[in-house]
Order: sequence, then C-alpha cells, then structure tokens
Amino acid sequence: MADYPEKPETGPTPGMEIKEEDILEAMRAIPGYLDITPGDFKEVYRLAFAHALERLSRAVTAAEIMTTDVVAVRPDTPVAEVAAAMGRRGVSGVPVVDAGHKVVGVISEKDFLSRIGVKDAKNFMSLVAGCLKTKGCVALPIKVALAGDLMSSPAVTVAPDTPVRAIAALLNDRGINRAPVTDPAGRLLGLVSRADIVKATMVRGSS
Amino acid sequence: MIGNYFRKMTGTTQSPPRVGLAEILWSWLGAFLGIGTVAYLNYGWLDQTGLFLLIGSLGASAVLIYGAVKSPLAQPRNFLGGHVISALIGVTAFKLLAPHLWLAATLAVAFSIAVMHATKTLHPPGGATALIAVISGPQVTNLGYLYALMPVAAGVLIMLAVALLVNNLAPHRRYPEFWW
Repeated sequence: MADYPEKPETGPTPGMEIKEEDILEAMRAIPGYLDITPGDFKEVYRLAFAHALERLSRAVTAAEIMTTDVVAVRPDTPVAEVAAAMGRRGVSGVPVVDAGHKVVGVISEKDFLSRIGVKDAKNFMSLVAGCLKTKGCVALPIKVALAGDLMSSPAVTVAPDTPVRAIAALLNDRGINRAPVTDPAGRLLGLVSRADIVKATMVRGSS
Repeated sequence: MIGNYFRKMTGTTQSPPRVGLAEILWSWLGAFLGIGTVAYLNYGWLDQTGLFLLIGSLGASAVLIYGAVKSPLAQPRNFLGGHVISALIGVTAFKLLAPHLWLAATLAVAFSIAVMHATKTLHPPGGATALIAVISGPQVTNLGYLYALMPVAAGVLIMLAVALLVNNLAPHRRYPEFWW
C-alpha cells in the first residue's frame, strides 16, 4: 500500500487487470463473511500476480538464452578490423577481451558514432546527416585507433545465473543493447542481446 | 500534500457484499450457544460462589468467532492468545499504575494492541479484556493475575469449544482456518 491512495490503475499486465466488480462477484460466490475489502483484495491480487510473473521469468537465466558463438576482439585490434568483423557477422556490438579472455569492454556502433563526431542522437541517420555536410569520410578521424581506444569500459556484464528479467531491466536502465556473460573470474562465456531476450520470450510464449 | 492527506479520508473502495440468510442464521446460532453456555454457567452456577465467567469482551469475540469465522482475527491463536495476553497486560497496568486509572486504562489498551501485533495474536476484543482488568473495580482487580485464567481463559475455551462444534456443523463453514 506504499502508493496509497494513488493506486496505479493498470498493473504489470494491463490485459489482466481485475475490476472491483469481479472481486465483489467472487466474494458473493463464497459463502461466509470475508474479512477484507474489495480494494484490499485487488491490491493483494495485483502484487501476487506481479510476484508470480517475476517468479516465472526468474526461472530462465542468462546461461539458457545467451549466444555462445561470439566474436570477441582484443584491445589492440585496429578499429577497421573491428568494424569489418561486426559488419561480416551482422552484429552491432562485440566484447573486447584481454589475453586471458577476460572482458575489458564492449564496442558497439554507438562507440563508433560518438567518436566520429555524431554528438546527440547516436544513430545511423545522424551519421548520414553528418556525412552529407562534410567533404570526406566522417570515419577518417579514427582510422588509426584501436579497439581499446573506442570501447566502453568497464563493460556491463552479467553472471550465467542472472535472471532474464533482471537483464532486460539492466539493458533498459543503461540504454545498452547487449551484455557479455562472464564467469566469476570475468572471463567471457557468451553474450545476451535484446534479440536473445525477445527470442526467449517467443519460445516460452508458444510452448 | 495536505490535499492528499484529506483525500485519504474519502475512502477508495466499497463495503463487502451482504452475506446470505443461511450465514446469518448460523452466526445467530453460534452466538446463542456460545454466549448461552458461558452466561448459564456464570449466572446459574458461579454467581452463588462469587466467581464469574462472563465478561463484556466475550460478546465482541462472539461476533468474530461465530460471525466472521474465516477472519484471521477469529482463529484460535488470535482468540485465545489475544485475550490472555491482553488480560496479563491489563492486570499489570492496574498493579503498576493504580490509582491513576486513566493512565492504566490508556496504556493497557495501547500495549495490548502492540503486543498482540508483535505476537501475531491480534484479536480486537482483547483490547476490551485489557480495559476491563483496569476499570471494573474490586471484583476484578482483587483477582490479580488469576483474571487471565478465570474468567478470561476459561470463558475463551468454552466459547472456542462451541465454535468448533457449531461452525463445523454448517455445510459451508469450516473452523478454524489455522490453529497456531
């Protein structure tokens, strides 16, 4: 009842919203006096439902949905090679690992965009706009840079047993699209991207 | 801020539905037999001896254990625990604070609620049991801590026995929801 009296009208799943009339109907169907108001029952239902959803999604972990076939680069990989590898694999970000296979950072399209002068909206169309206003290739300033110069570091990583729901919240909060999965020593095990989470949701929904 | 404070006084939901006629009759019967047994023993047998069994808070308990049998407040743990704990607190308050009865009465009820909460034995009539220990004059206060045993625990156990026997006769009732 922390949000009393401004109770949110929709719970975590708007489609499952329960109405007080439903509760009153159910209470009428149960013989005997129930020592609870419809409003309190609704609150209990809302919290219990959210709890059940949380429990169900907690069952699936990073290890179960991560991509293990991951392209990783070294801090001393030239960015031209990094970009080529990302293009070849059709991914928008790769982890950067050191010689011991420990994750030291992540390079994504956003890191490229911000380093080649795309300031505010770090997306492809901002790049096109910038390109059309200048004479040469906008990527030239970073031609000699290495992965280590461009990467976002430290990387936002998750453990293999991190629940999918927590990863979704993490990606959303940090405004990132993927998180490397690491063992306790920080070594790369795989990668969970937004696409992996969407895929996992679809499989579970259809089963 | 202030607006929100006053808005909380307007209520947010509605009263639960009215129970059916059968439920009303079972509640009536439970109270009739429960209070009837205690009252008969009190006036028919104990009156001559100067002892007593019937205290006002048992009337309040009858509402719960015969009228709202599913309520957590009406379960044996709460019914017995709430009365006995509150009785002990009421007697203690009187012993420590008499003749300042206003303070004894106040603290008896306030502490009863707090301790019933803490021990998961909240039973509203317990507040009355604590109050009775302070305000009823020598007939009660002379009992000292015996008050918690007789009339309180004895009266409660009789009413509890009636609740078990009568509530479980009703097709749609079961009692208790939990014992402890």
